[in-house]
Amino acid sequence: MFTKKQKRINVVLVAVMLVMSLFFLFPVIWMLANSFKTDAAITGDMNSLAAFIPPELSGSFLDNYISVLTDTNFIRYMANTLFYAAVLIVLGIIVNGLAGYALAKINFPFKERWLLIIMLLMIVPMETIITIHFLFIAKLGLLNNIIGYVLPMIVNPFNIFLFRQVFVSLPDDVYEAAQLDFCSPVKYFFTMVLPMSKSVVATVSVFTFLNVWNDYLWPSLVFTSSDLLTAQIGLNAITSNENTTMGQTLAVITLVTIPVIIIYALFSKQIVEGVVSTGSKEG
Amino acid sequence: MKKKTESILGMAFFGPALVLLTLFLFVPMVLTLIFSFTDFFALNPGLTHFVGLDNYFQVFKDEDFRQAFGNTVKFVLIIVPLQGLGALGLALLINRVTRCKTYFKVAFFIPVVMSLAVVSTLWVQIYSPEGILNSLLAGLGIDAKPFIHSSAQALPSIAIMSAWQGVGYQMIIFLGGLQAINPALYEAAEMDHASGWQKFRDITLPELKPLCVFVFITITIGAFRMLVQPMVMTGGGPSHSTYTMVYDIYETGTVNWEIGLASTMAIVFAFFVMILTVIQTILTRDKEGKKHVYKKAKKN
Repeated sequence: MFTKKQKRINVVLVAVMLVMSLFFLFPVIWMLANSFKTDAAITGDMNSLAAFIPPELSGSFLDNYISVLTDTNFIRYMANTLFYAAVLIVLGIIVNGLAGYALAKINFPFKERWLLIIMLLMIVPMETIITIHFLFIAKLGLLNNIIGYVLPMIVNPFNIFLFRQVFVSLPDDVYEAAQLDFCSPVKYFFTMVLPMSKSVVATVSVFTFLNVWNDYLWPSLVFTSSDLLTAQIGLNAITSNENTTMGQTLAVITLVTIPVIIIYALFSKQIVEGVVSTGSKEG
Repeated sequence: MKKKTESILGMAFFGPALVLLTLFLFVPMVLTLIFSFTDFFALNPGLTHFVGLDNYFQVFKDEDFRQAFGNTVKFVLIIVPLQGLGALGLALLINRVTRCKTYFKVAFFIPVVMSLAVVSTLWVQIYSPEGILNSLLAGLGIDAKPFIHSSAQALPSIAIMSAWQGVGYQMIIFLGGLQAINPALYEAAEMDHASGWQKFRDITLPELKPLCVFVFITITIGAFRMLVQPMVMTGGGPSHSTYTMVYDIYETGTVNWEIGLASTMAIVFAFFVMILTVIQTILTRDKEGKKHVYKKAKKN
């Protein structure tokens, strides 16, 4: 299939790209290797290739990680974020899912107009109204309160639209059959519609999780009390403490990334499909 | 089902979303617009006046906001070609290699998985005067650079870091686009003994054009919204060289409580982002039509 010349070009190309990928990833390699070192070792290795090689296994190998996990609030921050994400995934699926179903299958006044409005709302950048959100939540006395953090984040025009697009193609006769069984519409939604649309539920859940996990501005405005911080804000609180060493900083940012890597590993198919489909959406 | 019950059911299903949309999208949008014409100061709301377009004049005269706007534009000008062309180049290379394909896809995607706060914290160390990047540069015989500690280099440094973080995302989009190109087009070109460059120019590029428009505008919008990097790395400095529009909105509104002025800035910001979004929608909408034209052109 390939001529000799083409084969040789391919081998050279792969070799060049391997070198390129190493240069590209040097910050990540450096982060991982040095997260196991003391600050003295990090600075000492800086001018040699040892900067990219983890230290030898010894009793103090995991010291940075252990001190981060035991001496700081880090585990608390991680648990907080997981909890917020779980709450927002459940509430988001209920609120946006029900709305998407209404827009897809139920005839109610101004349905088409609502759909158009939802699509228009998708283009409003959140940064525009975040000041007003902050003012609202502050006036309601909900700063440093999980309700204040969650409330503005539940509804999401993009997710409503996503649910609607999937629900539109569900067959109508199942619904009619459920009617004959006197199945209440709400029960029908939770026991039939959602289970039939597992893939969109998974996509919305994954993107909600990533959004909550990576969000910075909104949690930094709502939460100031150390008990409530999310992982991203907590990471900033830990690393800006002057007693935190460089090695500990690298250990913290490695740990914060691990849950996201797990999510990507488990759901890489949905995520890549989501990414590619945003690029080829027929609009 | 009777029409009336169905209407009630529809509103019941749509209701919770509608209440939240009203409270947290419609009302804030309207309030932002109204406040942008007032001098509303949240610590003393009793003294609020209607000031007409004063805020808009003030914002455009304001030294900080003008600099923030200039910085945002400068950031866009650096990151868009870097990240967009970088992603296209990587996708073309990965599409060509026959071995280690999965490794390359994962390798260049890794920074996307890391959050902006993580990447920013990491690169504060990378860019440190005695940091690893300066030590690598010294190995190549290049003098140490101040990077984020100088007002000339801080913004380009953040732009390069941001392009590094995001490039893998658009690379995946381009790879999807490359795989969607009909292989028959290349086969036909090969029969005409077209060179690699000709195939790229006459088939790959035209087929990818709608996707390029989409990707470049997405990067531009993302760049306009830039905030976390300077917040974590530089605090907007040195001497406001990494101050951005969103940073100014955030500080004016939530730190200084000058809601009126912050709302004006937010309206100006939203104006630019929404224009970009509308352009993007219009340009990518009739891509099917465009594809058709290209195919026709090829036949002739």
